[in-house]
Amino acid sequence: MNDPMMREEPDGRGLVEIALKTFREVVLPVVPAEQRFPALMIANALSVAARELAAGDPVDGAALAGLCGDGASLEDLCAAIEAGAFDGAERQAALRAMLWGLTRRRLAVSNPKYAVPVAVPHPAPLPTSPHPRRGEE
Amino acid sequence: MAGVISDDRRPRLEAWLAEQAGAGRVTLHEEGRLGGGAISLNLALTLTVTGGPLAGEHAVVLRAASAAGVAASLGKAEEFAVLRAAFAAGVAAPEPLFACTDPALLGVPFYVMRRADGIAAGHRVVKTDAPQRELARELGRQLGRLHGVRPGAPGLEALPLPEPSPALDCVRQFRAWMAGRAGHDPVLAHGLRWLTVHAPPKGEVVLCHRDYRTGNYLVQDGRLTAILDWEFAGWSDPMEDLGWFCARSWRFGRFEREAGGIADRADFYAGYEETAGRRVNPAAVAYWEAAAYLRWAAIAIQQGLRHSSGVEPSLELALTGRMLPEIEQDLLLHLDAVDGGRA
Repeated sequence: MNDPMMREEPDGRGLVEIALKTFREVVLPVVPAEQRFPALMIANALSVAARELAAGDPVDGAALAGLCGDGASLEDLCAAIEAGAFDGAERQAALRAMLWGLTRRRLAVSNPKYAVPVAVPHPAPLPTSPHPRRGEE
Repeated sequence: MAGVISDDRRPRLEAWLAEQAGAGRVTLHEEGRLGGGAISLNLALTLTVTGGPLAGEHAVVLRAASAAGVAASLGKAEEFAVLRAAFAAGVAAPEPLFACTDPALLGVPFYVMRRADGIAAGHRVVKTDAPQRELARELGRQLGRLHGVRPGAPGLEALPLPEPSPALDCVRQFRAWMAGRAGHDPVLAHGLRWLTVHAPPKGEVVLCHRDYRTGNYLVQDGRLTAILDWEFAGWSDPMEDLGWFCARSWRFGRFEREAGGIADRADFYAGYEETAGRRVNPAAVAYWEAAAYLRWAAIAIQQGLRHSSGVEPSLELALTGRMLPEIEQDLLLHLDAVDGGRA
């Protein structure tokens, strides 16, 4: 993450957020029908930009290292996938878990409304509750 | 308001139309642009034909190539040939009328087809309280008829046959369209690998629409009036079109109605089996649904790149490029449903 020497106030993220709010409240309601589609796209683009500027790196470094070793890059992971390293049942399950995390974090930036609800497993089984099995809804 | 067809081009176009129609004279009236327009220009016209077998008024669409097509698209002459083959097979494709490859007329190849009534917008088509079972059946029947068109059909000699098999040909194509992204995006890498490992062997190939989905057909009063957007058509495994139609990406919010957001798969499949002369193979459809997500991802990447590269700066194209996480979620959901997360 950037640590700029000069901090602007408001910063880019702040500007985008207030621009979006103003656009929605002041401009969008009076946009003629023919410009409505571009106007909605502008609001959408600003929303994505604001969320992107607020979000961290969607890649879980620990998960990536768990799959491919310390210091592995996404490119290394992709190459390993292509080479068949994750074809087996156990390896594929571990890969899918990482891919789900990555995709959910990216979706939280690009279109949070499209995300399906997550079935979150308990981190530790409770003595009186059944332990939910992976994949069961 | 100035029309799309410039004043100096209009008389030559009208003269060409008269020649094509075997008429004494044709005058055209512009009714406005149709559709999304990102890849092709669709212009609604009314033709007034004087003399000859087509004398009278005709509601038509003039469909022209845009300056830069996407890699997957057919040229307009090929698209016209596909429409002719589909129309001849009894499919509700718009009736193709005239095609022009001479750049002198409009600067780009184009063709003219009949204009059908109805709405195509996906979010409007799916907006019914009850599922649209008969519409789904009819869409299945139409697809069954289309899949009766085989290699060797007249006019389609230029369409390439998929090698070494439809599945592996698709994997190769998708990877190419992704322009290197599969080397950085592990979801894409995993999807392509999965398609490779699970690829069905080469079987029959038929004429597939390859963008058969809600949003690409017209509905008027709940009835199908025309199937649109044939620019991706080609020879492939018939189950590909079924997988594409049922992909989560085109349900327009009606996620529980797996056939195009309008009804259950069973209704769509039943219509297909009425006319296709083959049974639906659900495992094969599941494979091709996975392929659908990778294909759509590849197309979205291409559209995003058209913007980012500067070829066509466009907010719409830019936002399409940012749809990858949605497509990837749908892919992961589907793969988990197919194999429970494990191979």
